[in-house]
Amino acid sequence: MRGRSWVLAVCLAAAGFGSVRAEDERPRPLPGARAAAAAPTGGATEGPLDYDPWQRVNRKVFTFNDKLDQWVLEPVAKGWDYVAPKPIERSIGNFFSNLRFPVNLMNNLLQGKAVDGAKTVGRFTVNTLLGVGGFLDPASDLGLGPKEEDFGQTLGVWGVPSGPYLVLPVLGPSTVRDAPGLAVDSAASITPFFIDAWILAGAQVVDVINTRARFLEAVTEAKEASLDYYAFVRSAYLQRRQALIEDRTEPLPERTPTYEDSELYTVP
Amino acid sequence: MRIPSSIPCRDRAAGRLAVACALLLCAAATDAAAQQSPRDVVQATSDQVLAVLAQKDLSREDRRERVKSIVLANTDFDTLCRLVLARNWDRFTPEQQAEFKREFESHLAATYGRRLDQYRDEKLAIVGDRKEANGDWTVQSRIMRGGGSDDFVVDYRLRQTNGAWKVIDVIPEQVSLVANFRSQFQEILSNGGPERLLQVLREKTAKGEEFKGE
Repeated sequence: MRGRSWVLAVCLAAAGFGSVRAEDERPRPLPGARAAAAAPTGGATEGPLDYDPWQRVNRKVFTFNDKLDQWVLEPVAKGWDYVAPKPIERSIGNFFSNLRFPVNLMNNLLQGKAVDGAKTVGRFTVNTLLGVGGFLDPASDLGLGPKEEDFGQTLGVWGVPSGPYLVLPVLGPSTVRDAPGLAVDSAASITPFFIDAWILAGAQVVDVINTRARFLEAVTEAKEASLDYYAFVRSAYLQRRQALIEDRTEPLPERTPTYEDSELYTVP
Repeated sequence: MRIPSSIPCRDRAAGRLAVACALLLCAAATDAAAQQSPRDVVQATSDQVLAVLAQKDLSREDRRERVKSIVLANTDFDTLCRLVLARNWDRFTPEQQAEFKREFESHLAATYGRRLDQYRDEKLAIVGDRKEANGDWTVQSRIMRGGGSDDFVVDYRLRQTNGAWKVIDVIPEQVSLVANFRSQFQEILSNGGPERLLQVLREKTAKGEEFKGE
């Protein structure tokens, strides 16, 4: 849960319900924004333009999601935020993040990250046993921070390009590569068979509302800061996903300097 | 209290001394600025801004103005604007370019100014820096918001102009502000050209003013 920035928040919020689901808490699937996007548009000095050939439809879906958020999710989240202290919200977020363990493990292994996979196991064990079933996050203090990966990222690491940007109804920003990734991750989530389906559904609703509550300010700020909110979210989502695929979210000194984007920083 | 008889005289002398000292300090400061590393620049900017925010008796307007001038002094805003408009920069007449800079600055000042009002003792720690392939420098900071999972990372990209390192991009959680605005503006420009973009900026700022009044 650490990458929980306003940017990610915006992606989530703009996405409406879905993007705020448990599994989306952090890294969701990711589109190779820059590399893949730059190629099809081909503008040499244009910089990393976002590849969005289906913009007309995407904008409509985006507007729909945003209305859904404004009319349903945001008001409910505001109510929850009003009664719930911040630490409670954070703990609930921790809890659902912890449950994402199988997905993280699978994707770390599929990407050949054995060490991160092992850390994922360690983190889950520590937070479940010492962190009161995952509500607290003592693992981070022990150097076992989250190593969150999803199948969209795995495909990206394997070299699958992001393809066109795609706004899914309810679920929000995605790409042609990331959207199927959601399904794979969802199938990989272990659903305890002994727990009633209604309880699981209820838990998911709690997770969505709680997550949205944590992003209330961020979303408002993003709407104020942007002149084209659709393009803002698209750019944020694609950039963020690309960074996650390249693991640029690691601290700077440990990063390989691959993300040099000379186009972006060349003065015309 | 003992009152010296020659106040005016002494004052004048003291005044001259003060001026001389101030000049010396200025010279020293300029010299130091020339040698400040990118990391120093980010640290100093952050320190100055936090010092302003710590003054709880400042009016909202005062606080915004001070922070704005500190940030602008450490930003190469001209370069930032060119990067944001990229190839479209040449589609703007010099007058439009100048107006774009003014309007974009107002927009950023209004947006981020409002955010200052919500400042809740966040702290900034510099966690790394590195030279980029084209000679720019990236400085990475972590914004502390009290809890491990609520902290986040912000990178600053700096470029050296006239000997001084200035910020040309802000990159929270690996999302570049320059790239983001470039994408937004590209949409607007491709539909309506420079005039349309300027109009959108003006309208947004006007709306922000209303908002500020509440």
